[in-house]
Amino acid sequence: MGKLESKNIEKYFTHDGKPLKTLDGIDLNVEDGEFVCIVGPSGCGKSTFLRITAGLEKPDGGEILLDNQPLTNTGPDRIMVFQEGALFPWLNVEDNVEYGLKIAGIPKEKRNQISHRYLDMMQLTQFATSYTYQLSTGMKQRVAIARALVMEPDVLLMDEPFAALDPQTRDLLLVEMQLIWQKTKKTIVFVTHNVAEAVMLGTRVLVFTHRPATIKKEFKIDYKRPRTSEDENLLPYQKKILAELRPEVKK
Amino acid sequence: MKSSTLAKKIGFYAMIIIVWQGLDSADIWPDNIFPSPVDVVEDLAYGVSDGSLFFGIGTSLLRLIVGLSIAIAGGLVLGIFMARVETVNQTIGSLVLGLQSIPSIAWVPLAILWFGLTDTGIIFVVAIGAIFAVTINTYTGVKNINPSYIEAARNMGAKEGQLITSILIPAAFPFIMSGFKQGWAVAWRGVIGAELLFSFLGLGFLLNVGRQLNDVSQVIAIMLVIMGIGILAEGLVFKKIEDKVMTRWGLR
Repeated sequence: MGKLESKNIEKYFTHDGKPLKTLDGIDLNVEDGEFVCIVGPSGCGKSTFLRITAGLEKPDGGEILLDNQPLTNTGPDRIMVFQEGALFPWLNVEDNVEYGLKIAGIPKEKRNQISHRYLDMMQLTQFATSYTYQLSTGMKQRVAIARALVMEPDVLLMDEPFAALDPQTRDLLLVEMQLIWQKTKKTIVFVTHNVAEAVMLGTRVLVFTHRPATIKKEFKIDYKRPRTSEDENLLPYQKKILAELRPEVKK
Repeated sequence: MKSSTLAKKIGFYAMIIIVWQGLDSADIWPDNIFPSPVDVVEDLAYGVSDGSLFFGIGTSLLRLIVGLSIAIAGGLVLGIFMARVETVNQTIGSLVLGLQSIPSIAWVPLAILWFGLTDTGIIFVVAIGAIFAVTINTYTGVKNINPSYIEAARNMGAKEGQLITSILIPAAFPFIMSGFKQGWAVAWRGVIGAELLFSFLGLGFLLNVGRQLNDVSQVIAIMLVIMGIGILAEGLVFKKIEDKVMTRWGLR
């Protein structure tokens, strides 16, 4: 299962010696199997919220629950995909993807079996023995996604994973991401500053306000999949979301 | 190596030998001060034929390898602790910086007092000279690791112990590698220096013997051997590893 609840999450950072409120009570319910996208102005704390959910940072107030259990630390039930992928350059693609399984003590043969399933899903099979310096940015993100999926987490946390990609590669991965979500039925929380991306991916899009962030508004996106970037029917959603977002960016 | 570079090198060294031979033939200095290249080669050939040269090289290299291994193991542990535990860095870290400034040779009197004229004494000098170079480079390497590597590993379930072997050491490896290289350089100088002062087997000892016998060609022959081993280690061993590491880590 992957029912995620955020209850009144608060977070302060220190800026010039003074506490700076970044998250101002984030209340959020994500149902099992939902694909939630968070958009917000840069620096609003949306990534911080994701990191708190992953357990990489502690909140100053409130709590996160996964299937009604409060979370206190990182755990393989919530796997994060980082903006730059954070792949390990000293390991080849296969070993990168198997990292979490190896840490968990799963024997080589079993690891191989699992990793090859996901390498196949991400169309990486022929790159299994490549090193990261031999891969394009798009390929690296595929590896990062495969590495996360291999852990079979309940929740996938994605922190602007496509921000550094060229538009063509991004479009391709945006379609693939929808297929992966449909196939694996994972709960996904996806942070981005790109509204078009959020509308293509999300079942729901949340707009964060400028710091200290609260959830300003949420939009349900009921539309058939796979959605493509050329689909004009998605434009009205984008417009409505942008109308909410724009004043926040200007603050 | 490109053939033109190789030709330049060969030409350069040939010229040195010709000038050297010319100076010797000019009889400016007596032979017991300035040997001819032929004398030096004869001396090397003699050392090879009676095995004393190989025994000397073997003894020095063995001391180097043992000492350097201790330095590498100790330096890795110390460097990682300094990078991960701030209190260790603030206390032991400052001491390491101080100790690093002591030349290996300055440890010799202490080594003789503690261990006598033994192999252990020389190995101690080698290890203590090299350990801080490895420590400081490991520390710097671990401090410079991209934090998302560590976060990604923790996120996938790595415990602190697993983090050290599976992330910290490999991620910091380009730095650790330069620590090994610096450590080797200090250790190699240390072993020769210590052998000179201990005068107990090894290449440094052979240098001393050459001086005592007034055998200047032996002194120069051994110096050439020391240089040759240095070139082999740095040019072949370290360069190969370094090239591979730099490419894979995407630093080149």
